[in-house]
Order: sequence, then structure tokens, then C-alpha cells
Amino acid sequence: MSLWLHELRLFLRQRAAVPTLLVMMLLASAAVLAGMAEIARQTDAIARIQPQQADDVAAIARWVSQDGDAGSAAYYTFHATWDTPSSLAFAALGQRDVVPYLLRVRALGLEGQLHESENYNAELALPGRFDWAFVLIYLAPLLLIILLHDLQSSEREAGRMGLLQAMAPPHARLWQRRIGLRMAALFAALIVPFLLGALASGSRPAAVLAVVLLAAAYLLFWAWVAHGIGRWQLSSLANAAALVASWLCLTLIVPALAHMVIQSAIPVRQGVELTLAQREAVHAGWDRPKAATMQAFFNAHPEWRQTAPVTSGFHWKWYYAFQHVGDMHVANQVAAYRQGLEARDRWTRRLGIILPAVGVQTVIHRLANTDLRAQLAYQDRIREFHAQLRRFYYPYIFNEQPFRQAEFSQAPRWSTGHAGSERE
Amino acid sequence: VRAAWLIARDELRLTVRNRVALFGLAILVALSLLAALTAIAHRDANESLRARFQASANQVFDAQPARHPHRVVHYGHFVFRPLPALAAFDPGVDAFTGNSRYLEGHRQNSANFGDVRQSSLLMRFGQFTPAFVLQAVAPLVLIFVGFGVVARERERGTLRLLQTHGVRVQQILAGKSLALVALAGVMLAPAVLALAWLVLANEAPLGPALLIALSNAVYLLIWVAAVVFASSLVAYARTALITLTALWAFTVILVPRIAPDVGAAAAPGLTRLETDIAIQRDLRRLGDSHNPNDPVFAAFKARTLQLYGVTRVEDLPVNYRGLLALEGEKLTAKLFDAYAAAQFAQQTKQSRVADAFALLSPAIALRRVTMALAGTDLAGHRRFLLQSEAYRFAIVQQLNQLQATALSYADDSNRNQDPAAGRRVRIDPKHWQAVPDFAYQAATPRDKLVAAWPGLAVLAIWLVALVGAAPFVVRRVQAAAG
Repeated sequence: MSLWLHELRLFLRQRAAVPTLLVMMLLASAAVLAGMAEIARQTDAIARIQPQQADDVAAIARWVSQDGDAGSAAYYTFHATWDTPSSLAFAALGQRDVVPYLLRVRALGLEGQLHESENYNAELALPGRFDWAFVLIYLAPLLLIILLHDLQSSEREAGRMGLLQAMAPPHARLWQRRIGLRMAALFAALIVPFLLGALASGSRPAAVLAVVLLAAAYLLFWAWVAHGIGRWQLSSLANAAALVASWLCLTLIVPALAHMVIQSAIPVRQGVELTLAQREAVHAGWDRPKAATMQAFFNAHPEWRQTAPVTSGFHWKWYYAFQHVGDMHVANQVAAYRQGLEARDRWTRRLGIILPAVGVQTVIHRLANTDLRAQLAYQDRIREFHAQLRRFYYPYIFNEQPFRQAEFSQAPRWSTGHAGSERE
Repeated sequence: VRAAWLIARDELRLTVRNRVALFGLAILVALSLLAALTAIAHRDANESLRARFQASANQVFDAQPARHPHRVVHYGHFVFRPLPALAAFDPGVDAFTGNSRYLEGHRQNSANFGDVRQSSLLMRFGQFTPAFVLQAVAPLVLIFVGFGVVARERERGTLRLLQTHGVRVQQILAGKSLALVALAGVMLAPAVLALAWLVLANEAPLGPALLIALSNAVYLLIWVAAVVFASSLVAYARTALITLTALWAFTVILVPRIAPDVGAAAAPGLTRLETDIAIQRDLRRLGDSHNPNDPVFAAFKARTLQLYGVTRVEDLPVNYRGLLALEGEKLTAKLFDAYAAAQFAQQTKQSRVADAFALLSPAIALRRVTMALAGTDLAGHRRFLLQSEAYRFAIVQQLNQLQATALSYADDSNRNQDPAAGRRVRIDPKHWQAVPDFAYQAATPRDKLVAAWPGLAVLAIWLVALVGAAPFVVRRVQAAAG
């Protein structure tokens, strides 16, 4: 124990030690605060829209309920959905700045509604977010490099190496101790702000533990790199240069190159194609014989086959039927698009096995539920909700029942079950 | 001056002999070339894909069968944002904004299918483009190659030796800087080649391309000065390396990420959902088109009847339903424009606050300059949003006008009851072919210059400040040498 204390005293006496630890602590704290502020802003927005949404629906209900036209009710009423941030999202904001976490849908064709964008300033999104995950992935290794690059070489350069090797018999222990100490100190400066943030955000203990282990493993990787390069017996200078070069390659260049390769190897232009196709399919509904549309719809929803047939002119039954037929028409393209996105995500994960920076990035954002999968999961919940909306409106439309104030209040609501972001 | 040349030549010879430095330089040039080649291929592929989508959207619009004009209003149109040639150098926000927009009546849809939503988180590590290589990687290579230029001489005592031989400190620093400038020139070369290619083969505008090359050169000059100064002011080469690396991490990695947070906090905006609700609320305040007794629409009706000198809408020489559609679209479009303008103003304010951080980080200034000159900044996207909205309004009103003039009120009112009327309201497809195609007007070089000048000014300030600091550095080196 006294040996450790002694080493700690030696370490803290070094010129770079205390400033480096302070900078780490400061950056980690600032990142946690910034992340928490962002999550508070998003939670506020979700709370803020509730009364606005209620007013909007009430205003529609006021005039629609007068003649009780269910088709108008379904046409004009938008239903709000939202994706509540997980309790760990503050540490890894991920894609939540560029992907809508609030979306309104109505009982019309869903594919035309699902890909709406949020109003965000793309110039602000471009450089990436300043959150704790960023501090961990990019900045912590750099600070660790400052602490570790001259560990062995400085002893050699000061002429003490021979002495050290002669003195302590298991001298590998000495380096383990010194590296361990520096790593632990930096880790503490990095993790304490995170733990405080997690405590304030009520994060799940298991996820917090996973992040702690992940961060430790990541720093351990960089300590291992530093130690490995240290064993080449280069000068402190060459060590520092080699370490920074490794950092540059592993956190900036290779991920950017890999991104480029993945994007071009797995093109996903089906996104645009499916919206074009869906719009064609929906609008072709107007020109197709009504019976054909109704037949296609009844194949999917036989329960409405027995209702009064649609003859000439306009009928909401037929309108909602071709809306849904339009969605069904592009189901294959939707699946292909989804597979493209998932393939991109899968290859990123595979890359993460080799590239620690990418691995940490994917795992931490998975834990925080702020990655592409979270975005797709939110879309799935919207799909479910949209189906629920259709099931709710169909009886009024197909049985031609009046839709009044009471019915408005019975419409499905986006519930915590939908909004829950903590699953998986 | 001769002494400075000799020192520069000597330094370069040393660099060439130093395998690590040479390796770093070679890697950078290779990366730069690779980035240029892939970025050009990527931009060309994207641009032709969008052009193809646009052509097919135009084609299906024109190929519509005979329809009721209001059906065509709802059928709508798709427009795609073209990708400027210089986006191959710096794609800017292109991947972070939707590049296709569905235009229809009564609604203003967002631009969708930006790459950022179609990518894994890998995208947030940065995009591999010539701009990225020059902004982020080149300074670090300059640091690696140059941190020891003066500090090494001092450590070995050769600095004093040079001085005793009558070489002045100014000459030493000038020579060392010159050597680094030459290396920076090598780093810049692939990007300049790429820009030249874009001008010659892809019709990129010459002025902005030249200015992009120039501003990258200034940026590298700023780093050369920083490297030489740091190397001159510290006692050990290692301190220079660590200081410069820290400076690089601060200005290239950290500040560009903090600036947006401050910018966003300075001017928080409404979410899309809130904007939608607010627009609907304002529309209801404006007048309820569903209410036959609504005062606004009643007044419109009275005004119209008076204008034509009739007492019933049935007696109007035009189809009243078409007139109503024209009026309704005018009201909603005015609201869309007002909300879009407010959002643009708010986002401009955010960007301006974030841009102020360029005083701490020349990388931010450079990014502003290259994005603006490439036409891939937020203003470029805004041009697309404004022009596509203007186009939406124009075609919707053209179709509403058709409804007013080519259809009779009686037919339009009975189209669902009377099959013959239903057939008559479907007008000839030649009308859809008469709707003009979307023609995007790109920013002129002048527009680009206006958008780029704050960044250019900050780069100039940085350069002037560093050059102005030179005498101070010279004095410090002289003092240290005693």
C-alpha cells in the first residue's frame, strides 16, 4: 500500500499530472451538464406539446362532431407520438438531434408520413455533439497519452532506468503499478461526473455498470497501446508522436474511411423510391375501378367485406382503403430499405469489434438507446400505433357510424408503453 | 534572405532524411488523393441519382391521365436538391439535410431522406472529404513534422551556434517557416488538383474554387506560424509537441463541438410538431373554411360576387370552388412563409453565435468559408427550401386557376353524383405538361462571397495576428539565447 501511495506522490509531483486530471474532470463535467441540458430540453418539448396537441384535437372535434363525419375526423386529426429519452441518453445523445423524437401521424398512408424530418440546424449537427461519449472516445485517450507517453522513456532519458531495473526484482510490477495508477486517476476524473449525472438522471444501475466497465476497457486499451509503444524503447518524443498518430488513425481516419466504404457498398436509395412508389400507388387509387381497390383492401381486412359496397362517387371507405393499399403496395420496398439501414448498422457493429473507438461508440449508444436501432424501434412503435388508429377509425367509417365528441376522446393515445425507451 | 533560404533548404533535407516525417507527409498526400477521388465519385453518383429521380418525377407528373385539377394538387410533385460541383470538395451539410421534398397543396412538407438518418453512428466520426483532410489532419501532420524546427536546435545547442556565426533569429525563423510552408504546399497540392479537376471537368465556378484553395492555404499558413512559434517559445521539443497537439485537439476537435451547443442555446427554436400545430391554430384564427358561415370566407364570397356583379355563386362566369382554393392556398402559403422566415432567422442566429467561436478556432472559420463557397452551407439548403416552396405555390395556384376556369361550378359540385359531370371535371393531360419543371437557381459567386466573408475575415485576422506576433517571438528567442 505504501508503495502505491509513494507512486501516487511521485505521479502528482509531475508537471503534467494535476492539470491533465483537472482538464479531464472539467471536460467530463461540462459534457455531462451539456448532455443533461439537452435531454431536459427534449423532455420539456415532449411535455410542452401535450396541451397544444389537446387544443388542436379539440378544435377539430368542435366542427367535425357537428355532422359527425368519421372520415373527416380521421382525415383532419393528427395524433402525436414521441420517443422519450432513456435515462442514459444524457451521456450519449447520438442521433436524437437529427432524428425526430416527436412526430404526428394520421390514419392516412403511413409511408408518406414516417420519414418527415425535424426542424434542426444542420450546421450545428455537422460537427457532432459534445456529450460524455465524445469526451470518452476522443479526448480521454489523448489525455491518457499525455500521462503515459514518457513513462518508461523519461526514466531512461533521466538515466534512472538501469537503476530501476536493478533495484526491484519483479520490475514488470513497477510499470503495471505506474500505468494502473495513472489510468485509475484519469478514469476517476472521467467517471465521477458521469456517475453523478447518472444518479441525477436515475439511470438503470446495470446500464451504468456496463458503461463504467466499457470506459475502463477503453482506457485499458489505450494504456496497452501506450505500453506497447513504450516497449519499442523510443524517445519520449517519438512515443508521443507515435501515440498521437495511432489515435488519429483509430478515432478519425479509419472510422471516416470505413463510413465511406459502408455507405457506398450498401446504397439505400429505396427510401426515396418507396415514397415515390407509395404516392403513385395511392393516387392510382383514384383512377382504378373502385372494386379493384376494395378487393385488395378486403384481402388484408376481410372483416369489412360484408359492409355496404361502395358504388359511384366519393366514399371515405374507398378513400381509406386506397390509402392502406398504397402502404401495402410498397411493403417490399419498405423491407428492403429497412434491411439496407440494418446492414449499414450491422457492418458498423462488426467494425466495432476491431476498432475500439467504434465499438465503444456503438455499445454506449445502444445502451443509451440513441442509435439507428432506437430510431427504427421508434418507427416500429409508430407503425403499431398507426395500425391501432386505423382499427379505431375503421368501424366508424365502414359501418358509417357518427363520430362525435365522445369518440374523439376515445381515440388511441400514445402511451408510456409506446414511449418507453428503456426496453431491450 | 540568403541565410533564410539556406536554412529552409537544410530543414527540408533533414525532413526528407527523417523517415517518420516523410512517412507522415506521404500518408497525408495519399489520404488527400484518396479523399479527392472518392469525394468526386460520390458527388457525381449522388448528383446523377438525384437528376434521375428529378427527371422521373417530372415525367410521371406530365404523364398523369385526365384528372380533376384538385386531384393533381394532392398528387403533388417531387423536387430534388441538386448537388453543386464543389460539394466534392466540401459536402457541408448536404448529408445532414433532406435532399428531396414532396410538394402538395395545403401542406408544407419537410425535405427528407438526408444521409444522416440513413447511416449508423459512424457518420458522426466525420466524413472523409478533401476538406476534412485539410482541416483536421493536415495541421496535425504539420505539427509532427515541425514541432522540433527550432526547439531541436535549441536542445542541441545549434541555435546558439548559428547565432554566433552571425545568423540572425529572424533569418532562422524565416528559414524554418519557409521549409514548413513548402511542406504545407505539398499537402495542399492534391486538393488543388481536385479543385482544378472540378473546374475543368465538372464546370465548378472558377472564382469560388480559387478562393477555397486560397483559404486552405491561409489556414495552413496559420498552422505553420503556430508550429514555428510554439517550437521557438518552449525549452524542449517534447513540450512543443504536447502543447501543439493540445492546441490542435482544442481548436479542431473540441471547440467545433462546443460552439453548436452554445449557438443552439442562444436561439432555441420550435420543433416541427409545434410549428405544425401553431400553423393550424393561426389558420383557424384566420378563418374556418369548413364553416359556411365563417366571416372571413363569407366576406371573400361577398367580395367575389360584387366583383363580377352577380348575386349567386352559380351565376359567376368562373368556378367558385376554384376561386376558394386559390384564396385558401394564398392564406396557408402566407403562414408557411412567415413560419419558415422565423425559423430561418432563428437558425441564422444560432449559426452566427457558433461562428463567433472561429476567433478561438480557425478551423471553424475555414469550414464556414469552404461550405459557403461550395454552396453546401445551411444557406444553400435554405435556397432549396425557399425555391421549392415558391415552386409549390406556383404550381398549386396554376392548378387551382385551372379549376376556376376550365371547370364549371355545376359540374364541380355534382362530380360525385353525376357520372357525366364526373367525367367532364377530368381535364386534358396537356394541362399537366404545361406546368413548368422545377429549375433550381444555384447561388451566384457573389452570394457565395457574401456568405463566406465573415470566415475569410476571421482567417485574415488570425494570419495578421500571428504575423504581428513574430517580432515578439523573435525577441523571446533572442533573450533566451542571451
